[in-house]
Amino acid sequence: MTTSSQQPDLTVSDFITRGPAPVPRLYGEALVRAAIDDPRIVCLCADLPGSTETDLFRDQLPDRFIEAGIAEANMIGMAAGMARCGDVPFVHSFGVFVSRRCFDQIANQVAYPRLPVKIAGFLPGLTTMLGVSHQAIDDVAMLRALPNMTIIEPAGPEQLAGAVAAALAVDGPVYLRLKRPESAIADLKSRPIPIDEPGELLREGSDGTIFASGILVGEALKASRMLAQQNRSVAVVAITRLKPLDAEFVLRHCKTGSVVVTAENHSVIGGLGSAVAEILLEGGASVGFARVGVRDTFAEGGSTSYLQAKYGLLAGDIVAAFERAAARRTTV
Amino acid sequence: MTSNRQPAPRIHDAVELAAIARRLRRRVISLVAPSGQGYVQQGLGAADLFAVLYFSELRLDPADPQWPERDRFLLSTAHNTAIFYGTLVERGCLPEAGLASYCHDGSAFEINASERLGSVIEATCGSLGQGLSVGVGMALASRRHRRPNRIHVLLGDGELQEGQVWEAALAAGSHGLANLCVTLDWNAMQVGGHVDGVVRMEPVGAKWQSFGFHVIDLDGHDIPALLSAYEAARGQQLRPTCIVARTLVGKGVASLEGIMSHNLKLPPETARLALIELGEASAS
Repeated sequence: MTTSSQQPDLTVSDFITRGPAPVPRLYGEALVRAAIDDPRIVCLCADLPGSTETDLFRDQLPDRFIEAGIAEANMIGMAAGMARCGDVPFVHSFGVFVSRRCFDQIANQVAYPRLPVKIAGFLPGLTTMLGVSHQAIDDVAMLRALPNMTIIEPAGPEQLAGAVAAALAVDGPVYLRLKRPESAIADLKSRPIPIDEPGELLREGSDGTIFASGILVGEALKASRMLAQQNRSVAVVAITRLKPLDAEFVLRHCKTGSVVVTAENHSVIGGLGSAVAEILLEGGASVGFARVGVRDTFAEGGSTSYLQAKYGLLAGDIVAAFERAAARRTTV
Repeated sequence: MTSNRQPAPRIHDAVELAAIARRLRRRVISLVAPSGQGYVQQGLGAADLFAVLYFSELRLDPADPQWPERDRFLLSTAHNTAIFYGTLVERGCLPEAGLASYCHDGSAFEINASERLGSVIEATCGSLGQGLSVGVGMALASRRHRRPNRIHVLLGDGELQEGQVWEAALAAGSHGLANLCVTLDWNAMQVGGHVDGVVRMEPVGAKWQSFGFHVIDLDGHDIPALLSAYEAARGQQLRPTCIVARTLVGKGVASLEGIMSHNLKLPPETARLALIELGEASAS
């Protein structure tokens, strides 16, 4: 069953409300391209080939594809064993499963020995109607706490293909937090994920900075434009490498006496907001600060737009957070 | 297909292997005696398995621990290091001098074997249930790379209560990994006592068989039977093998045999008498 970007995909649902037009399969195609060039790459999947776009790999490079079945913990161990024999395994499931179900396996068999196992987790945060069981709201918090891990989250579909190159550029374990597009994208121009820095400045501003990741990057840009209408000049920095998150990079993009807001499709506990707060406090930054994210609650199944609105993950929520932080701002 | 390079001694003489096993048991006692800490009962029980594996079955080159075609050995019960370290030293894979630091602060000779000791530790296990998954991955990789080596995983019995073991067993059977051999050290003991008193595991051989393994159930102290079992495992073309080795905790030291103590603290006088007993006992 080969599907391509040109054909409607009738075989695959990951319970996301998608438009009628076929969505591009940017990650899956990029992985196949990389594997054709690099014979070390093998692909493992826990019974989600369509939802992780690895059916493309399975169909084109079957000798290097392992269907692990619904057994994520064993999949991580197998990948570790393969990595110890010279392979570079990319393993695939939903983010909630590869983090919660495999934390101990990742810690002992991947992170501790610094093996080049690339773990791709789909359905980040609140992006599925399947409900709480399938929503990865704490994956970054867990994996960020593991030594030796790198965590990469593309800022949008234009960086999905680049996720493969970014993962390969790291000599060690990587967690890729991947959100597939929900609709066809006209004239999509792929952009690489920065390798040398944890993110990039997308919009300049002098009154404050929004550090955003994943689908909240688009909302942050929207929020910055809304704030501009109130004569607030707010910078937007997309964080694509959540770990390691260089303190120097964060502090460079914060102006003393200004306001910093973080925005992420993840719990406000342990993710981007926590990481930035740690850097600001240890760096002695004197700024107003607020976090936008899932506010220490389980959510529910629903469309992404519904969930973003209900759980406070829209541009308006970022604007409100900015105003809260500005009002509370004190100079130390 | 086998490589011409075969540095393992490949000892097939059961009497000689029994003598080695006795030396390994002495090492277990000697290693644990100074502090009393370490897994004595399990080590004594598994000594015959380690003697046959490391001195007959495994194709290794102590001078080149990263030899790509070496057989891989994973001790999933990574706490069983009194016997493991003793064996690695006896086989020349680790320096004798290192043992003096066993359990000392700062030493790489930790109670749970980790890769701080280098590549002789093929994976850092110890969080029980993980070793077989790694072994399955190695077996898949070896098969794809057409390497002639074999993958050995030593599992504990209580460890089988971890669900991940059975995920890995399903995968091994499903992929028909004939290059994989599980040695199940069935000493019947876990922290809470007899395994079947904690969670009933029998019939254990039938379980592995139903998962697609060729199963050999034997006395884990019967060296000729172990030699035959590993030879039979090597002859498998389509299925992985599980050798259910029935062992006796404390084997070889009369005062310790059969004593179900997972974390036995070895009294100095017991250690002294055990060394005399192991030194004087004749080959059996």
